[in-house]
Amino acid sequence: MSEPANPLSPEGPGGTMDHLDEMTCLLYAERQLDRARAQAVSAHTQDCAACRTLLRALDRESRLLTRAMLEEDEPLPSRLAEFQERARKSFGWIWGVVFGLAATGVYSLYTQVELWQKRLADAGFGGTSLLSLLVFQGAFWKGWQSVTTLLEVLAMLTVAGFGVVIFRRRLRRGSALALVLAGLCAALALPVTSGATEFHKTQGAYELSKDETVKGDIFVTCGRGRIDGTIEGDLFFFGQSVEISGHIKGDAIIFAGSTRINGQIDGNIRSFTNNLTITGSVGKNVLTFNEVVNLDSAGKVGGSMTAFAESVGVDGHLGRDLVAFADQTIISGTVDGEIRAKGRTMSISSSAQVGGPIHYEGDNPANVASGAKLASAVQFTKAEHKSRYTEGHYYVWRVIWTAAFVLFGMVLFLLLPKFSEEAVRAGERVGAPLGLGLLVFPAVPIACVIACITVVGIPLGLLTLGLWILGVFTAEIVVGAVVGNWIFGRSADTWGLIGRMAAGFVIVRIVYTPLEHVHVIGGLVALGIFMWGMGAISLALYNRFQPKVSASALAGSMPPVSLPPHTTIGGIQPI
Amino acid sequence: MSVPGMTETTEAVARARAGDADAWGELYRDFAPAIFRFCRRALPTREDAEDATMEIFMKLRDKLSQYDETRSFSAWLYRVAANHCWDILRRRKIRQDKETEDVDDVPLEHPDPNQLDRLIEQKTSEEVRHALQKLGARARMALVLRYYSDMSYDEIADALGVRRAFVGVVLLRARHELRQALEGKSALAAGGTS
Repeated sequence: MSEPANPLSPEGPGGTMDHLDEMTCLLYAERQLDRARAQAVSAHTQDCAACRTLLRALDRESRLLTRAMLEEDEPLPSRLAEFQERARKSFGWIWGVVFGLAATGVYSLYTQVELWQKRLADAGFGGTSLLSLLVFQGAFWKGWQSVTTLLEVLAMLTVAGFGVVIFRRRLRRGSALALVLAGLCAALALPVTSGATEFHKTQGAYELSKDETVKGDIFVTCGRGRIDGTIEGDLFFFGQSVEISGHIKGDAIIFAGSTRINGQIDGNIRSFTNNLTITGSVGKNVLTFNEVVNLDSAGKVGGSMTAFAESVGVDGHLGRDLVAFADQTIISGTVDGEIRAKGRTMSISSSAQVGGPIHYEGDNPANVASGAKLASAVQFTKAEHKSRYTEGHYYVWRVIWTAAFVLFGMVLFLLLPKFSEEAVRAGERVGAPLGLGLLVFPAVPIACVIACITVVGIPLGLLTLGLWILGVFTAEIVVGAVVGNWIFGRSADTWGLIGRMAAGFVIVRIVYTPLEHVHVIGGLVALGIFMWGMGAISLALYNRFQPKVSASALAGSMPPVSLPPHTTIGGIQPI
Repeated sequence: MSVPGMTETTEAVARARAGDADAWGELYRDFAPAIFRFCRRALPTREDAEDATMEIFMKLRDKLSQYDETRSFSAWLYRVAANHCWDILRRRKIRQDKETEDVDDVPLEHPDPNQLDRLIEQKTSEEVRHALQKLGARARMALVLRYYSDMSYDEIADALGVRRAFVGVVLLRARHELRQALEGKSALAAGGTS
């Protein structure tokens, strides 16, 4: 080669006392000098210790570079372990069918749910934004619309997942995820209304006295609470008992042992209590999960009441419909709308007035007193403990949901291929994940509730709960993949794992479906699947956070590292 | 050139060229780890390397008919990989080096060999790999081509699109950049004289 101009010649102006420049040394070390120059350099290094040391250092640097680059510090990614194109082509139509089924399912569900959504919105369950639904108006607090919301979120996540997969080649994974998350957050957060919020946390009693006014929302965590003043926003209460004698202009969301409403609530009540007694007035609707709910004779609810309870009593005035899922439903007051009740017994006393139709499904006909003023006779349906498994559409939906889950699993596996593989591997150990699942499955929700009760931990609690719910959804997918691996053998690449997951999931569903209607066994099997899957995910997470000792397990075989020959320098002893 | 970490599988190549899917799979299993590692060294992120590895093998399958069987398969494979990775980097315009082929820029200093020796002594392979990720695209690629793929100066010149006489300069500058990354802007990196 012709070297760059003026590499310092040993015979150059500096004579032999001058040192070789680094460029010349490098070219010499790399055997890129012509013979004459190489000999001159060699001769120079016989007498010059500094240049000899430099040559040696350059040689060592070359060796270090080669060694560093050849070292197997990272295993071959699973998705590269097998060439995937062939698999993609052969299974392309299957994924097409799965996607089609899932899309059909989601669309059909959405159109069905839309009717319910409208109905619920009419009843005052209209939501505002996804975030407010998820966080402050979500599944626990403000109604059933979250069912739709969940679908929307799942659909959004699926679409976002596909987006990430498709654009992953153009974007780095981290930035793509950040983009998607930022977009989701922006979409979720956009319609949230702002307002001042007060927080009160105490071990003892909390009282909002009569002359006090809270301008915005208020969060209260305490033992016993008493609200005599005015709250212009919503009340969020967590405690043993609460008595509301004041005026709440927004909604009351209550987690308490005992709740008594003597005052006025302009909005809705969403309560999770042991006892709920309403002697005051509620402007809109009541949604309650409790043991005993009683609308007292002096009480008034402007909207409808939806109750999941052991005993529901309506002595007062209910402006719209009553939906009751209760062992015992007693109507002594006025219901302007219709009644839909399901339970064991229903009694309508002589003082009752019902403006709409009454649908009652139970074991025995309703007990109606002679003086009761009903718009129409009670339409009684004998509760049939008929198996839904005899109905064809159940299986159609089962197939559709299976496809949706497989699709969801596919997106997850593509987004997190390494973690998915780790979770499946963890699941294969059975004992450990089941044990851990036994702990995690009930412990996480309890921890979430505790976090929520501490008020400050509400976002953390809800986030954890969200992850837990996601884990529940994902658990069956992980178990499916484990079963798939057992049957078809492990796959080294992600698509292979997805295929096994799909097959395993279908098999689990097929096996589980007939067991589902056997109450105890079905429940236990379902619980086992959830615990197993969640345990596997938890175990994989746990392993992920352990310090790594070595990462040299390479899927493909590689011969031992050997240093290339060019790093040897003529005339200099290798180091 | 001979390629470290690769075994020649002439027979498998011939069968793959004839359309034998198993032979293709065999080639992939044999060479994918090395090519992935090559891409991992040459490209900024793991995801880039994964994608590039897949793309290289897809490209390779289309180009297999063009392969001259009298030459080394692994060398040809590395050339395809090098071209592909360099194309990716150029397309993205990732921190293109400012080097020109101006020979006046040729470093002619004589650095302190003892200091260089000490630096090499102290640094681990992991630190070197970490430092490599901080280099400019051309510097990193030059080092990878030379010290991982064992390419000749001619092949490096061809892959990087520079004159052959300039390859040594590119490599030396890359080493300087690497030293800087390993130890900050020291006299060593600048090529201080003894």
